[in-house]
Amino acid sequence: MNPTMIDRKTIDETAMLRPLILRCRSLQAMIVKELLQLFRDYVLLFFVVYAFTADVYWAGSGVTLSLNQAALSIHDEDRSTASRQLIDGFHPPYFKNIGEVGDLRDGTQLLDAGQATLFFNIPPEFQKSLAAPRQTEVQMQVDATNSVLGLLASTYATQIVTSYGLNESLTRNGISPNRIQTLPGIVDDRRVWFNPNQTDSWFMSITELLNIVTVLAILLPAAAMVREKEKGTIEQLIVSPLSPLEIMFPKVIAMTAVIVAGTAVCLFAVIRPLFHVPFRGSLLLFFFVTTIYSWTSAGIGLFVASISRNLAQASMLVILMLAPILFLSGVWTPPEILPAWLRLGMYVSPMHYYIDLSLGILLKGADWQILWKQIVALSSLGIVVFAAGLWSFRRNFQ
Amino acid sequence: MNLVRISAILIKETREIVRDRLFFSLAFIVPTVLMLLFGYGLSFDVEHIPFVLVDRDNSALSRDYSHRFIDSRYFELHRYSQTEDGLETELIRNEIRAAIIIPEHFERDLLAGRPAHVQTLIDGTFPFRARTTLGYVTAINAAATMEVIATYISEQQGISRADAAKSLQPIQFNVRYLYNQSLKSIWSLAPNLLMLILMISPPFLTALGVVREVERGSIYNIYSSTVTRGEFLVGKLLPYVGISFLNGIILWLLAARWFGAPFKGSIVFFLFAMTLYVICTAGIGLVVSVFAHTQIAAMTATTILTVVPAVLYSGVLIPIASLTHGGQILAHLIPAMYFTDIVLGCFLKGVGISALRIDVIVLAGYATVLFTAGYLLFTKRPSS
Repeated sequence: MNPTMIDRKTIDETAMLRPLILRCRSLQAMIVKELLQLFRDYVLLFFVVYAFTADVYWAGSGVTLSLNQAALSIHDEDRSTASRQLIDGFHPPYFKNIGEVGDLRDGTQLLDAGQATLFFNIPPEFQKSLAAPRQTEVQMQVDATNSVLGLLASTYATQIVTSYGLNESLTRNGISPNRIQTLPGIVDDRRVWFNPNQTDSWFMSITELLNIVTVLAILLPAAAMVREKEKGTIEQLIVSPLSPLEIMFPKVIAMTAVIVAGTAVCLFAVIRPLFHVPFRGSLLLFFFVTTIYSWTSAGIGLFVASISRNLAQASMLVILMLAPILFLSGVWTPPEILPAWLRLGMYVSPMHYYIDLSLGILLKGADWQILWKQIVALSSLGIVVFAAGLWSFRRNFQ
Repeated sequence: MNLVRISAILIKETREIVRDRLFFSLAFIVPTVLMLLFGYGLSFDVEHIPFVLVDRDNSALSRDYSHRFIDSRYFELHRYSQTEDGLETELIRNEIRAAIIIPEHFERDLLAGRPAHVQTLIDGTFPFRARTTLGYVTAINAAATMEVIATYISEQQGISRADAAKSLQPIQFNVRYLYNQSLKSIWSLAPNLLMLILMISPPFLTALGVVREVERGSIYNIYSSTVTRGEFLVGKLLPYVGISFLNGIILWLLAARWFGAPFKGSIVFFLFAMTLYVICTAGIGLVVSVFAHTQIAAMTATTILTVVPAVLYSGVLIPIASLTHGGQILAHLIPAMYFTDIVLGCFLKGVGISALRIDVIVLAGYATVLFTAGYLLFTKRPSS
């Protein structure tokens, strides 16, 4: 065989491969450039690390959305065994008795000053009326400036008073309250799944992580893009042998890598060791979903980047985009109580699927067979959003 | 302090803001949109909980009992079934959040004068929602039990059912909700949103305003000019404080007029306190801007430093008294908590300066500390 022929063949092959190799090299160079730029901005780096660790920790610890030690002040005009028994029903963890006051005015003052959440008033002759038996009236004033906790407090208080009244009347009817178990009635065998003790820190820390992922996945690619515009370094990139796609993809890849790495740090350094969240599902699946979601959000970031000229504009637009996304995620307000038009918005919000998927995988132990519908929905939304972001980016960058 | 130099900076900054039309309009649009969006959409009411009812007994009494849930506005029937098949998948997929399972012999047990067991399954992923749901289930079961016992006693003692039911509830419990009689969540939400938005937007604007000059390099004009750092900071921040003050008024109008939250306090006092608060939060942006050298860092820092503490540790979601010890310390360190007292005091409670003077003093102290720190840390001779 003629040696020159072999040579030519290899040359042809390398010639065919060369553009591809070049592309890979430029991609690599650009990714390294993005990561270097991020890691050399110490303040930014500090806050990205802070967000994935300390911020999630603060959100998960110390916050509980339950009635906890609600301050209760009492005006007991009867001072009898019965009234004291009733008051004893109000105890921690839900209520904290902060003592008795002499008259009604003092109680109102405590409520006004925010020192008491509830003010309980037991009328004179309370015990006598119970024994008579005659219906008696007990009053409670609740500080409802926080309507959620006001409602919760009154629900619990009603339960305490009703069950006290029931026991009293059963005793009077000659039935010992201990026998209530054998009386006809509904016995409620309840089981709370996925979080049996309703530990707030599990929910709070995971959703805070998901919030952080959302914020950074939109903010970082958008800012990385707009910064080049604002500083004028975009001119260098435009005259380089790179297509707009080749300028943009490395940014998205670099930022997604940072976010997935941050998520891993958060899961293994904060959420598992500090809050003891049992990860029931496959973490691999969770990281896969996080990657898809980061790409989807990066599409939104690209859209913002392509219509704003400086970072100040971009940051305002990011907030404007983030608010409905965070709000339509279904974390705080469940879909069923939203008006129909807003519920529609929820179905096109990528975060809604991401939340369902993440809580499903991490807390409920779901696998891809159960969740495939949501994964398909998130992926197709991702493709649409990213394509739209890409389109508006190309239009503005050429 | 030279007033001419301050006004020169002030005019330059104002022109720069006004000429960036997109930024200028967004500075007003964003707070308004946030207020409307959250005001309409954010609700902590737990209603229409989707649930499955499994009735294995399928008797007259079990159907009566199921209707206590089906007819309740707190529950929304997703599926009525005789078996438990598919329950788990539906719970995992978040399609339902509760299930009530009535076992066989439900009717037989009750008619025989024995307690009947009912199983309740609840999705605990969102603990607050789970707790509220449990509260509803307890209340419905208590009412059902009360009726069953009343029937039982009336049969045993030969009195009418109504009398028996009355004797079982000897205490009439009256609850009065103060400050927000009908428990409208928007009444407490709207003033809180005002606090929240004024915590987020002023530091954003100021931090970006200062860091933008650093990143673009136009700050060197200031470094080499006769303007002192105090004059620069005052002239630079005033437009942003002004924008935020206007935003505060817009938000106040939205809360009090659009959403109809009652404003019972003095408007003069409120505006005074709001100005203090806006200066405080702008001061946070100032301190951030001293450390951050790029706008993206400033953006990330302000978002993380303001949003989470303002939502979680301001007393909006959770009263300060219910926070853990560490949480309480954190709450006292941020201005949001003090302004929450003032906002709720002015809106719902109608208390004046005498009850709120400590909050005002703290805010003033806070502003002083932040501006002193910003002044001391800002230097016209950058090290690098």
